[in-house]
Amino acid sequence: MKKVLYAFLAVLLVSACATNPNGTKMKISDEETKLEVYNRAMFNFNYQLDKMVFKPIAKGYKAVTTQGVRDRVTSFFNNLEEPASAINNLLQGEFQNSGVSVARFAVNATFGVLGLYDVATTWGMTQKSNSFDATMAKYCIPDGPFFVMPVIGPSTPRYLVGWGVDSFANPMYWALLDKKDETWAITTIYGSTALKYINKRAENMALLDSLEEGSVDFYATVKSAFLQNRQKFKSFCNCKADGAPEAASYDFDFEDMDEEE
Amino acid sequence: MKKLILYTFATLLALCVKAEAIDASKAEKFVQNVTKEGIEEIINSNVSIEQKDARFEKLFNTYLDLDYIGRFVLGRYWKTATPAQRKEFIDVYRAFNVKTWSQRFDEFKGKSFDFAGTTPSNSQGQVFVNTTVDMENAEPVKVVWRVKEDNGQMKIIDIIIENISLAITARNEYTAFIKKSPNGIDDLIADLKKKSAK
Repeated sequence: MKKVLYAFLAVLLVSACATNPNGTKMKISDEETKLEVYNRAMFNFNYQLDKMVFKPIAKGYKAVTTQGVRDRVTSFFNNLEEPASAINNLLQGEFQNSGVSVARFAVNATFGVLGLYDVATTWGMTQKSNSFDATMAKYCIPDGPFFVMPVIGPSTPRYLVGWGVDSFANPMYWALLDKKDETWAITTIYGSTALKYINKRAENMALLDSLEEGSVDFYATVKSAFLQNRQKFKSFCNCKADGAPEAASYDFDFEDMDEEE
Repeated sequence: MKKLILYTFATLLALCVKAEAIDASKAEKFVQNVTKEGIEEIINSNVSIEQKDARFEKLFNTYLDLDYIGRFVLGRYWKTATPAQRKEFIDVYRAFNVKTWSQRFDEFKGKSFDFAGTTPSNSQGQVFVNTTVDMENAEPVKVVWRVKEDNGQMKIIDIIIENISLAITARNEYTAFIKKSPNGIDDLIADLKKKSAK
């Protein structure tokens, strides 16, 4: 199983490198049209899956929990992501931020009762979250094309690789690594992952509902928002040594009426 | 060749002049007033929903340049639209935005904007006003306001939340919709009408 996963990641990396590094628009080729057709189909599949399975579960979860409980759950999983932030801050030369992530993890895991409470923030240590996705951006690894993953949803090759690598830095994974043959350990892993995403889905309920309600083409909206949000990584790459700061991606020309798709 | 040189010079000149530079601190103050008015007099006020909606509509129409944004979001389809279609689209786009935003705006209850300076724009007479909103249980959200000045009149023309421009998102969405609809813009107008009537 692991071998398959590695092969999959390797393919993704290669495909990421093969795409246009400037991120500029190439002529719309057959491949792009095909990808778009696939993306829309997969998006609709995920949408139906969400509507019939995840959303009802999240609704039920919301009905039986209070906001306070959901905040504790969010806080707990946030804290488990601090080690990944610490490592990625380090890889990006953000030594001070890396120290903050380590300190936050230690403080919240102890004084914050296993991370259930974010004590560190109240002590003035604000979160410096970072990801392997951002690290790769810093080392100028291109993002690759937008594509919709089954179940996981909108992604790009670099986003997906970053997500996979970061999950290895999760303390839960390390704590249960040598117990991977025991049923309770497996149950804990799957159970906590399920809880994490159901909690997330419940907390995003209002936002996603209003986004969908206000949209005439939900796929186009989600794709556009996802890709725009990722434009922030564009300035991370240090290879371009001309020193001139790049204009913000949202500083487009309002008078330009010929849009790129 | 001569034309090319002339054109290059003209472009360079246009880039250098920037005569109508916008007053950044004035723009920041303008956004401060808009958010203050929106939060104090609408979100946190104890009036009926109808009154809230009416106040919101007024705020929206006074401070946002919906004609300008509406043109932009249709992209290349604006050029091919008839004057009647243009007018109908702008009207329905305005109504639709007032409706969705008066609902969404409640999310900002009890929150405030921290102002973090301005960033110049490549476009003449425009500037970005940077703000952040503190969130519970998450890192602060970055909200950037794009402000345009026309004859001394300041208007908001875009709001960028976590790098996501509402104008670009709407354009991507609307042009995608028009492209796959048999009746093009008319289908979009009908759909937006249906959505704002709900």
